[in-house]
Order: sequence, then structure tokens, then C-alpha cells
Amino acid sequence: MRRGMILARGAAIAAASLCLAAAEPADSPVNVPEPPGLYTGPQRGYTPPTLKGAQVVDGEQVAKLLEGPVKPVLIDVAMREKKPANFPEGRLWLPVHPSIPGAVWLPNAGAVPLAPEREALFYARVESLTGGDKAKPIVVFCHVECWGSWNAGKRLVEKGYTGVHWFPLGVEGWQDEHETKTITEDAEWKRGEVAER
Amino acid sequence: MRPTFAAFPLAVGLTLSAAALGAAPAAYAAGASDTDQERNARWQEIAKSIFGDRTISPTDTLVKLDAPKRAEDAALVPITLTMPDRDKIKAVSLIIDDNPAPYAAKFEFGPAADTNELKLRVRVNNYTDMHAVVETTDGKLYEAKQFVKASGGCSAPMGMSDEEAMKGMGDMRMKFADAQPGKPVEATLMIRHPNFSGMQMNQVTRDYTPARYIDKLTVSAGDQKIFTMTGDISIASNPVINFGFKPDGKPIQVAASDNQGGSWTKSFTAPSPTN
Repeated sequence: MRRGMILARGAAIAAASLCLAAAEPADSPVNVPEPPGLYTGPQRGYTPPTLKGAQVVDGEQVAKLLEGPVKPVLIDVAMREKKPANFPEGRLWLPVHPSIPGAVWLPNAGAVPLAPEREALFYARVESLTGGDKAKPIVVFCHVECWGSWNAGKRLVEKGYTGVHWFPLGVEGWQDEHETKTITEDAEWKRGEVAER
Repeated sequence: MRPTFAAFPLAVGLTLSAAALGAAPAAYAAGASDTDQERNARWQEIAKSIFGDRTISPTDTLVKLDAPKRAEDAALVPITLTMPDRDKIKAVSLIIDDNPAPYAAKFEFGPAADTNELKLRVRVNNYTDMHAVVETTDGKLYEAKQFVKASGGCSAPMGMSDEEAMKGMGDMRMKFADAQPGKPVEATLMIRHPNFSGMQMNQVTRDYTPARYIDKLTVSAGDQKIFTMTGDISIASNPVINFGFKPDGKPIQVAASDNQGGSWTKSFTAPSPTN
């Protein structure tokens, strides 16, 4: 039985690698390998169990960090809900974004590609939020099975941040056990985007 | 092939099953937590924008709202509305508080309706309260509430091309439960329609598929209305609606239209009681 499982895992790894080569979502949650750089496929999909250079955490560990002496910077990179272009006038449209209390919402900061100005602003925001301390604990997250937080974490690791924690279960994993708070988009992040338009 | 998103709530479920098996999470058991207060404030905001300043009283009897506590598929969450007091019910609205378009559906009942049980399937975007609000024939509003755990249902892609999803759009089928003399009949209406939410991204082109959803659905028994539904992007693709009606031997007429000008009608032969 164990042998069968190992074989099955091997097959899943092979299948997942093939998918990644074509930048398509993996079709199984089992052992999705880490891409060498940023992940360029759609944000929605199975993610790897690891992020080299970062610590993978669950909701309990995030809660512990928050209770600890050095408060982590919480960075939520979930995409904002896009109002359909042809959504009728007069119908109720009222998007809401519950998150981990205290999180800073930088929507879609895990996008690939990210415009150079946006990427620069992302680094600038993180630098400001960490007070320039590259060892400061940072928790990056979005939703469960979302590559956005993986990519955002990868960007920070590559930038030399050593306290990066990736929380792959994201908002859903958090709200199963803990309080959420409705947050709005980081003002500077939003301003930067408006300026681009 | 199952689209990836379908496993969203499932994956959380598996990962957190140990926690889920325990007592109810403290956050929701504690009563007036911050989260609860936020949810309540949001409901007040939504209720005001839909019902204005009208008072909405809680009810345990006029309407009961049943939904899975944790949905297996956030894009296909089954909802049952139970309204046994047929003569008192004029309309019912279903609101999914934390969906970006919270007002999922409104059903206005006609003389041929039996309101006892109404079922439909919806998309749920976040962990959310859901509200069913009935309007009684004396013009009062009553609400029932249920909390549902599901995520990503509005933006979940269908797992097939748009063309494939639109094949046979507007085709309808209806199934009837056995008719018994003098009793209402239960019917299931199935409409082939992608009900695109406008929030679904084509995984290959990365474009958003424009919203295309059934916004009006009228079902009648002969010339007597059973219900008219006003729909929104929160109704799941390929809508399935279970409803009850009072048969009088006349055919059941269905007229559906969508927000892009599509319209379809079909007539079904209702079963006659065998005795």
C-alpha cells in the first residue's frame, strides 16, 4: 500500500511538472513543485507545500506570531472583486473584503507580470511597513489555493527579506478559527494605481 | 474535469478538519464579537438599500432557510426555503450578505403557487450570513438567517470554454413528483444557461467573461402565475429550481430571459392526479 502511494505521488509530481512547464494549473493538490522563479500561470490553482526562503505557516502559527513580542506585518494580496463591465445600473453591488485584523491590503501584488512601477511601489510599501528591517516577520496571504501570496512571498524573499511567512490557507484558513475584520485597500497602493490609469 | 476552484472549500475542510470537528469556533460562539457586529452592520446596510426603512422582524416559522454549514462547492450551494403558511406569503428574497452582488434572487408568488418548499442553487463568495426575507400578504417583512462557509463561488470558472458553456442555452426540462388528488405538486425546473457572473476569468485568455445571467423567470400554471423570479449573478450556472404548485390540469408555462436579451419559453404538461 505504501509503495502504491509513493508511486501515485510520483505520478502526481510528474503530472504537476508537466502542467507547470506549460504554465497551467496543476490538476492535483499533491506535491505541486515550486517553480524556479515567480509563477506565471493563473492565480487560482493548487500551490506548492513550500516557498524556499520563507516559512510556511498555518492559522495557529499566525495567531501565535500576532500574540508574540514582535508583531508581524500582515500583507494581504487578494485580488479585489471586479465589477462586471455590463453589471446593470441599479442592481446592488457592494463588495466586501474580510481579512485578518490589522492586515494591509495590497490587492493583486502577487500578479505576474506586475508593472515595474507597481512592483517598485510594492517594495516601497513593504519597506515602509517593516521600518526598513529586513528581518522583521512578515506574513503574506490571499485566499486558499491562490498563487498571489506565493508570488508576493517569493518577491520578498528575493529582495532579501528573511522573516517571510507564507500563509497558504489565507483568509479562509484564518476565519475558520479567528475573528476577521473588513479592510479597505491600502491608500498608497490605490493611489499608485489611479495615477497609472 | 473538475475545475480547480471546486476543491477550495474542500481543501480548507481537509486541512482544518481537526479544528472543525471540535466545538464551534469561539469567534462565532461568543455572541457579539467584532466579526458578528460587522456582519450585523453589513446586513443593516444591505437591508436598508433593498427594503428602505421598513422593519424586518425575525421569524422561526414564516420562512426557514437551510443551507450547508460548509459547502462542498462554492459555485453550487444548495438552498432550501421553507414557507408552510402559503396564504400569508407574498414574496421571498434571498440575500447572500458578503457576495459582491448580495441580492441573489426575489420570488414573487402567484395564486397557483405552493410555497411550502422552494429550492435553488447559488454561488457563495465568502464566508457569509445569508438572509431570507419574506413579505407577507399584509405587507410585513420577516427574516431568517443562516451562516455558510464557502469561498470563491462567484469567480469560479466553469471548467470549460464559454462556447461549450453556452451550448443549448435556454433548453429547459421539468420533472414532476407524483400527483395526488387535492395536493400541491412538486416540480423541478432545469434551465441550461451558464449564468456567467461576469467575475469569472477565462483561465487561458485571462479575460473576464461578461455577465450573462437569467434576470427574469416566470412560471405559470395555465394563466395562473406560480412565481416570477428576479435573478442575479449569484444564481449558479444551469439553474435548477424546485417549487410547488396547485395543479388544475393546465400546462406549466415557463418564460425566461437574460440580461443580454436572450429569451426562451417552454410549455410542460402537468401531471394529473391518478385516483
